Amino acid sequence: MKLKLYLALPLLILSACGDSPPPEQAPVINNTEEVQQYYKDHPDFFSFKTLSDVPTDLNWESGGDLPEVGSPNALKGGLETVRLADFPRTLRTVGPDSNGGFRPWILDNTTMSLAHRHPNQLDYFPGLANRWAVDQDSKTVYVELDPDATWSDGVPITSDDYLFIFWFFRTEYITAPWYNNWYENQFTNITRYSDHLISISIPELKPDTDSKVLELRPLPRHFYNEVGEDFLERYQWRFAPTTAAYVIKEGDLKKGRSIRFTRNTDWWAKDKKHWRYRFNIDRVNLIVIRDTPKVFEAFKRGDIDQFGLSLAEYWYEKLPETDPDVENGYIHKKWFFNERPRPPYGLWINTDQPLLNEKSVRLGIQHATHWQLVIDQFFRGDYDRLNTANDGYGRFSHPTLRGRPFDVEAAMKHFADAGFIERGDDGILKREDGTRLAFTLSSGYESLKDVLTILKEEASKAGIEFRVEVLDGTAGWKKVQEKQHDIHFSAFGYSLELYPRFWETYHSSNAYYDAFLDDGSINPERKSKTQTNNLESFAVYEMDGLIDQYRQASDSETMIELAHTMSELHHEEASFVPGYYAGFFRLGHWRWIQYPEDFSFKHASGPTQYFVHWIDQDIKTATLNARRSDQPLSKSIEVFDQYRTPTIP
Amino acid sequence: MLTLNPQTRKKLARFRKIRLGYFSFLILGAMIALLSVAELFVNSRALIVHYNDTLYFPTYGSFYPGTTFGEDYSYEANYRALAKSFEANSSDNWVLMPLVPYDPYENDAKDGIMRPEAPDFSVGHYLGTDTTSRDILARLVYGTRTALLFAFAFMCSVYLIGIVIGCAMGYLGGLFDLFFQRLIEIWSNIPFLYMVIIVFSVIPSAASIPVRIGILLSVMVLFSWTSMTYYMRTETYKEKSRDYVAAARVMGAGAPRIIFRHILPNVLSTLVTFMPFTVVSAISAITALDFLGFGLPVPTPSLGELLQQGTANLRTAPWIVTAAFGTLVIILSLVTFIGEAIRESFDPKQFTLYR
Repeated sequence: MKLKLYLALPLLILSACGDSPPPEQAPVINNTEEVQQYYKDHPDFFSFKTLSDVPTDLNWESGGDLPEVGSPNALKGGLETVRLADFPRTLRTVGPDSNGGFRPWILDNTTMSLAHRHPNQLDYFPGLANRWAVDQDSKTVYVELDPDATWSDGVPITSDDYLFIFWFFRTEYITAPWYNNWYENQFTNITRYSDHLISISIPELKPDTDSKVLELRPLPRHFYNEVGEDFLERYQWRFAPTTAAYVIKEGDLKKGRSIRFTRNTDWWAKDKKHWRYRFNIDRVNLIVIRDTPKVFEAFKRGDIDQFGLSLAEYWYEKLPETDPDVENGYIHKKWFFNERPRPPYGLWINTDQPLLNEKSVRLGIQHATHWQLVIDQFFRGDYDRLNTANDGYGRFSHPTLRGRPFDVEAAMKHFADAGFIERGDDGILKREDGTRLAFTLSSGYESLKDVLTILKEEASKAGIEFRVEVLDGTAGWKKVQEKQHDIHFSAFGYSLELYPRFWETYHSSNAYYDAFLDDGSINPERKSKTQTNNLESFAVYEMDGLIDQYRQASDSETMIELAHTMSELHHEEASFVPGYYAGFFRLGHWRWIQYPEDFSFKHASGPTQYFVHWIDQDIKTATLNARRSDQPLSKSIEVFDQYRTPTIP
Repeated sequence: MLTLNPQTRKKLARFRKIRLGYFSFLILGAMIALLSVAELFVNSRALIVHYNDTLYFPTYGSFYPGTTFGEDYSYEANYRALAKSFEANSSDNWVLMPLVPYDPYENDAKDGIMRPEAPDFSVGHYLGTDTTSRDILARLVYGTRTALLFAFAFMCSVYLIGIVIGCAMGYLGGLFDLFFQRLIEIWSNIPFLYMVIIVFSVIPSAASIPVRIGILLSVMVLFSWTSMTYYMRTETYKEKSRDYVAAARVMGAGAPRIIFRHILPNVLSTLVTFMPFTVVSAISAITALDFLGFGLPVPTPSLGELLQQGTANLRTAPWIVTAAFGTLVIILSLVTFIGEAIRESFDPKQFTLYR
């Protein structure tokens, strides 16, 4: 793995050099006219009105009363070193190779949208918007932009930067079909009333209509005026003006090695209520270290300030309570229970494969996978069993469905129903015609390969063979996107949303082209559809109908009921074996890294997601001195379980 | 085909006199013999089960479900548990377990937690357990067996191709020689690791473990046979101009006969000296590939995989890396000693001043 990446690296640099022509050679592009023409060509979508056209009876909200995020004790300053597993392949936030582990640094976790969900309360607090109003009748959200808001290069953020996104994300130049589709179909209109007032309309009302609009991020119109055919190359390594507190300065990007972020001291939001205690550290140095064991060693030396300890191996074995650095209080340990949509770790069964298209085989697999053993013995009981693919959505998650338990007898009964009765010489069941009950169990998680080998060992008791195939992340994802897998161990990272999505994963239109005939029966000539998130090739006529109803429903009660019905149907089809979820995250950090009193937030996915930590230079000096002279300081291991969800029996 | 001539017999006698090499050879031979029946020493299956006046020998052959021995499950009998329950019932039934009663795949979690455990003689984990509580000795034994088998298969294939093509180049010469020289020059410049990575990314996942090992072997052979051809080519060139070859040709012998019956025995000494080092490089290569994650498929026991685990857990479980590293050092040293001894005993310049 390591070597492969090293090998890949020179290639990456070479291709990077080859991709971006020197600026003097690149043709001059100015798309201003093209964009204006596009606005004109779509008059229904892009409207230009005046302030007098804004309805007067709107109910404006601003979320200003929500508590601040972060601690007033936070100090600004310092340098934090953070590990990057792989050097980003681009600084673009859209297009090929852009959706990697680096993007949160330049988009998801750092930049501002119109408003943001409060990490404890879920309601919106203001970002780029001063205030907003939802007009239910016209399915429109009115937004007033903060007149103070500027890009990091000083240019003011105006309505035009929002109009522009509906051109940008819809162009073919960006080579991002998902964005093309989303911005084409999920919005129906944007209206410009003034430099700082816009409204955006959506096709269907939802319980969280506002979120669709409020979470939109603008694009710097003046920076992207060169977007054209060569967008991918032209913008490959250009750092865009940003709404975030952190910028990359000239020369701070060392390809293949490190990237340094510097806090923008002129950041427009630095004194705004919900932003002033965040992004405290002056400089964040991201360095590439590929091997996790090496990262841990670097952390133990103090070269890296924080290290995630969610894996039992690290929390209990490699950094135990008795570790001298922990014992002496130089390193603090924290365990925080959160509450948010759970990534559905489990087995995604491709129902388009022979044998796996038989329900009794799938039911057998459900009972032949020993997740409880994995949870108890490998994860030491810290994790919990996942019950459905959509756990953690509050009332939208099904209250009573349970993952099927490991049960050799039950599994063999189901396999017998499918004609697998006799065991072969190796103990694996086979049919009379000699077909063995064997499947490939693939995964892109190299670090979790032990989970697969445990499952394989246990499953053989029920007479089924899993051929374990561990791929690297990209290859694993490609495999399932091509629908080449039998059974795949994976999970989706879900963002913080009120209710689960079903269309992406269970609608037949994401599994096959023309899945059903008009009368609802299976189209015998249907062809598998690749590059979708329907990893189970799940196609049930009844489900399609429910999903359509769900997408059109506007009140929560109906949606909850539908979500439950769909979860039941999905459970019944047995094409997903729910695995486990971690209801928490754990962290080890050096003493000088300081966190607010509550440490993190109810709906946070990780400790650094909201950038509320800071560095105390005095404590740093004191800690390093104490460590040099072996002086013990106060030990700190804290568990924050105020948001712990009770384990369902 | 190749009868031992007095010259060779003399060389073998000389080999026997070089004690380090000779004993290494004996030790390695014994090891290989033991490894080939490793199932008798390291196995979770019992050697003998005496149940209701019948003797069972489960080591080889098909499995016995638990129901055979009065248990209530239909999967393979757990013989360690069986031994305990027989003992507890103080019946006539008994189980004879192998020396190491674990197989390389099973997770034997102590206290219900999978983690590396230090060597513990009382439970039969003589070298401890790895990160998922699998017996390290069992994984070492089966991993070493695969590595050795792989190395010998690799050596044989490389030599077969190398000898045939090398000899043909030397003997036929001319255009044939020229063509293959250029071909080899080009071929040997294709980076081997890239090819392994590429080939492994396209192997169908349905392939079973032996097939995958076979593919890995053929890829390695495909990119390693070239070096051997050059030695064979020069040697053949040299021998070809000797009188005995001319004599054979006059008597009407064909090219294959001359190459295999006359020239080959005379260039054997070059060949033999290279063999052990080829084995060493093959073992190192497969271990390195495994270490990098491109070798044998999970969860096949292998030295490289153990080394990788060991280096990742250097602080907390030093016994993993010690065991794997120790084994590698021992095997590679043995083979190298043998190689040195062979080289010395087959060296025609026996009384050279440069010793």
